Order: sequence, then C-alpha cells, then structure tokens
Amino acid sequence: MSTDKPEDLPSEEELAQMSRDELVKLGSKLDGVELVEYPDPWPVKGTRAEKRAERQVAFWFALSGLAGLAFTVAFIWWPAKYVAPGKDGDLMYSLYTPVIGATLGLTILALGIGVLQYTRKFIPHELAVQQRHDGGSNELDKATILANLADAGNRSTIARRPMIKRSLLFGGGVLGLTLTALPLGGLLRNPHAQSANAAGLLHTPWQHTKKGEKVYLRRVTGNDEISKVRPEDMDAGAMETVFPYRDTDTHEDWEHVLHVGDSPVMLIRLRPQDGARVIKHEGQEDFNYGDVYAYTKICSHLGCPTSLFEQRSNRILCPCHQSQFDALQYAKPVFGPATRKLAQLPITVDEDGYFISTGDFIEPVGPAYWERKS
Amino acid sequence: MTKKLRARTKLRRRVAGALALGFALIGVGAGYAVLVPQPQTAQAQQDPAIVREGEQIFNNTCISCHGKNLEGVKDRGPSLVGIGEANVYFQTSTGRMPAVVQGAQAPEKPRVLSPEEVDAVAAYVQANGGGVEMPAEKGAALRGDDPARGGELFRFNCASCHNFTGRGGALSSGKEAPSLDGATEDEIYAAMLSGPQNMPRFSERQLSPEEKKDIIAYVKSVTDGNNNPGGSPIGGLGPQSEGFIAFVVGIVALLGVTLWIGAKA
Repeated sequence: MSTDKPEDLPSEEELAQMSRDELVKLGSKLDGVELVEYPDPWPVKGTRAEKRAERQVAFWFALSGLAGLAFTVAFIWWPAKYVAPGKDGDLMYSLYTPVIGATLGLTILALGIGVLQYTRKFIPHELAVQQRHDGGSNELDKATILANLADAGNRSTIARRPMIKRSLLFGGGVLGLTLTALPLGGLLRNPHAQSANAAGLLHTPWQHTKKGEKVYLRRVTGNDEISKVRPEDMDAGAMETVFPYRDTDTHEDWEHVLHVGDSPVMLIRLRPQDGARVIKHEGQEDFNYGDVYAYTKICSHLGCPTSLFEQRSNRILCPCHQSQFDALQYAKPVFGPATRKLAQLPITVDEDGYFISTGDFIEPVGPAYWERKS
Repeated sequence: MTKKLRARTKLRRRVAGALALGFALIGVGAGYAVLVPQPQTAQAQQDPAIVREGEQIFNNTCISCHGKNLEGVKDRGPSLVGIGEANVYFQTSTGRMPAVVQGAQAPEKPRVLSPEEVDAVAAYVQANGGGVEMPAEKGAALRGDDPARGGELFRFNCASCHNFTGRGGALSSGKEAPSLDGATEDEIYAAMLSGPQNMPRFSERQLSPEEKKDIIAYVKSVTDGNNNPGGSPIGGLGPQSEGFIAFVVGIVALLGVTLWIGAKA
C-alpha cells in the first residue's frame, strides 16, 4: 500500500460529478502515472482513411474465417488415402498435406494479423510517465511488523510446550516423507514384471514352453501367408529377418511376436568359402546348420537393430553407434562400443525340411542390465 | 443284404478307388510341372554369335582383373564363376564395372558399355560361369501393383542399409549402400537377385518375384523426387534436417513478426 497519498482526494459529491476522462486521469495520478500524450488516432470521424483501415482489419478477420472453412472442408473431404505416384488421383493425394497445412496456417496467421492491425490502427499510442518507488519499506513499518510477528509467536506459547512440538514434528514429518515417497516410489520397479516369460530378461519368445514343441523360423511377407524358412530358400550370402512361430499360433500371437523387442533374429547364410573359416564359440559349436547361422538382431550395446549385414566382408554393422560384429567369429564385436557378442540362436532342420530352433538363446539378448555380470 | 449286392458295392469301391488314385497321380504330376521352379544351373542356350561377341568385349575390358577363364586375378578382381548374368547386368549397366581403381567399393559412374555390349558380356559370363539369370520381364513390367506391401518388405529387408525411403547410408570401412534414386526396375531386380558387392542376396525363394516387384513399386514411389508433398525432402533423412530447418525458419519468422509488432504504425 502506498503511503504517499495525494492530499487533495475528492469528496463523495465531487466524485459523483466527475466525468469519465477525469476519473481516468485521477486513477492514473493515484498510481503515480501521468499521461503526457493520449491522442485519438482518428480525431476526425468517418474519413476515407479511417474507413479503409476498418476494411483492412475486417479483411484479415474474414480471410481467417474463409481459410478456416476451407481447412474444415479439405480436412473432411480431400482424398487423404495413399495413391502411388503415376496412378489416378496421385496429384490430389500429394496435395493433401500442403492444403490442410496452408489453410490452417492461414487461418491462424490471418487472425493474428487482424488483431495486430486493429491494435496498430485503432488503439491510441499513449505516452505515460510513471513515478519510480525507491528502496524498501520505511523504518517504522519494518519495526512494527517484526514486533507483531514476535508477539504472535510468544503468545502462542509453543516455545515452552515440547510435547506438542515433538508430536507436530512427528505428524508433519510422516506426511512429508509420504509425499516424497509417492513420486520417488514410482521409479522403483521390478524390471522383470512386464516380461512375457517367467525368467524375464533371460528369455525371449524363442523359449520352448512345452516339451517337444516345434518353434519354426518364419519370415514376414507383408500379407497373411505363413512362410516358414527352409535352408534352400537362401542363396549363399543371404540374410533375412525371422521370428518365432508355432503351428498353434493364432494371427494375434504372430502380431504380438512381431512387436516383442527381443524376438527378431538374423538368419545368415555364409558363402561356402567363408563358411570354412568360421570360428565357433565354446559351447555353441552345434548352434548353426551348415553355413546358416542365426544371430539376434538386437545389438549388445544399446539394443538397436544390427541388421546391416555385409555378405563379402561378413561384418554385421549396427547403424546407431557403428559397432561391428564378425559373422565368422561367433558375431563377436570387432569395432565400436559394443563389448559382448550377439547372442546365437541354436537352429536345426526338422524332418519336413523346415528350420526350427532347438531352444532359446543361452545368453541374454540385447544390452546390459544391472544383474548382468558382463 | 444279399451276396450279389455286396459284391457289386465292392466292385464299385474298387473302381472308384482306382479312378481317385489316377486323378491324384495326374494332379501331382501336373502340379509338379507347373509349380517346381526351373533349376538355376548354367544353361548355355544363348545365341552363340552373341556369346562370341561377349567374349570379344570381355577380352578387351574385363580380362585384366577377372582372368582369362573368369577365374579372377589375385589382388585385382574376384572370380566371375557362378555370379550369373544378373550380376554382370547390374555392375556394367550402372557403370560400376569396368572399375577405374581398386577401392573400398566400386562407385557408380557413367556407363562404359552400351546396352548391347552389356547383354553380350552377360551372355558370355552366363554361358561360361553360370549363376543367377535375369527375369524374363523387363522395365515397367517389373513394377508390382502393391507398393504398400512392398514398403513393408522394404523396411524388413532393405531399409536398414538403404534408408526407409532409399536415400542410402554408410557401411563399414568406407563402404556405403547407395541411394536408390535413378535406379531402373531391372537394376533393382538384378541387385536383389545377385547381391552386388556387399549387399546380401535375395533368392526367388526368399523373396518371391511378386514380392520383389512390390518392393520395386515401393522404391519407385519414394525415389526420383516422388513422395515430396512439401516440395523438398530436405535430404530425406528424418527428423534431424527437418527439425533444423523448422528451427531456423521458425526463429527467423518469429524475429520478423516481433520486429513488425514493435515497429511504429
């Protein structure tokens, strides 16, 4: 509250007599503001220039409305379904995004320009001078407010009632801890809770859930065809991405498997001259089938898909951080930040000539997690 | 039931069984003839004149690196036995071969051999080395009619190296997967079949001809300036370049508007 009030405040009758201009002036004066210049932008009413300015503002608002209508029409009726280039209606389709973008953009832009133009043409550009207040409160105010607070504390007698103080500390402290635990507690989670398998991160959808179950290697065909991979499907120097499939799987199971992060596997058939040079990992000597090797597609560094297979240098490259794995040496890392080999899936061929996996990966797939030793 | 009647039904059963067996055998035979693919072996059925012409061209342009009998020359060029006409077609029609220098990989450049010469060399290598052959169809006939399915297959099989709209990308040790702009249908098909340089090979049983054609339809729908509704793909590399442009253009536009708002009327 200001302490330096002007001496000459109007009485109630004077106030009732004052015009609006005078009231505005008085209000500014009470706030320490003086209007030096407050011109009417159109002192002569109804000139051609004023009418033109009015039409200009109205034009922008109308344009905004029309563009908005055009956007609504285009958004609902413009052909938005994909049409391949060269087919009928390809031009109309390719214009869909630009049209809805341009119309909606124009709607917002024209509205903004209209508002700004109105401000610039019709709102007076006043020049005001405001008094500056120096320093803090005066000494009198400071001394009295301090005394007031100290008095309130003293009269509450809290200082000499330790039992109340401690019980309040206890009650308030518990509430405070609870409020802290709520946001922090959400961060503590069982990392295996949402895993599809019993042992969580140690297993993938390749895990055999029933005894004697056949888990095929199925490729994606872009339609509902069930295409299980056979050894003769792949030429030497071929690579393809396969997913686990059981004959009992429904369409939904397949869709689910496609979206589980650790299910994609790279099936690589080496060229015969390279296959002869392979060095296998201890304990995984029988995981391959001839020159066909199955490695997880998930990088052991940070879990990107490492599917850049070079069939002549036999390198498997991860595009995220340029880790390289050598397909001739159990996919061990030979370059880049990855430190662990890609997990290898044990595969063989069943009596009908289809690839099957003989079990799950025997090592965790993908990046490190906190229980993992290496 | 009388004895006679029983004998008649027995006879009818036998005749029906024999007929069914006959139909089944014929059906299997017909199915075999129709469905089993032709074995991909070297078949020297080319016109001998073209093969001889191809030998001439081979001896003039390829022999110093690939050897007299396609066996290759150590530290210069690999053997061409078993690579097939598809590989020859791809390498020579894109100008990668004849190569100029040894490097991480042979770059694409203006073609040296004319289309007729390419066909002749391909015929010569096919006749003497064997390998994957080109499909019977040519040009626009290799473009499928389901680019959406082709897109899904492209993202599963090709996009990791060639980028999801065929912009290409880096590989290890100075190699690269090229951009697919300007590649013809035949070149794309030949590349998928033969796996030039470090590209994996996609046999007709791994990706069926229909699937390959759909992939080509997809590639054609996103390369050569297609799929640019905004007028410019800004590299087609995804959010980085687009975000950068949006930031720069947006900030400059905001600055302009701010100056305009602050200016005296």
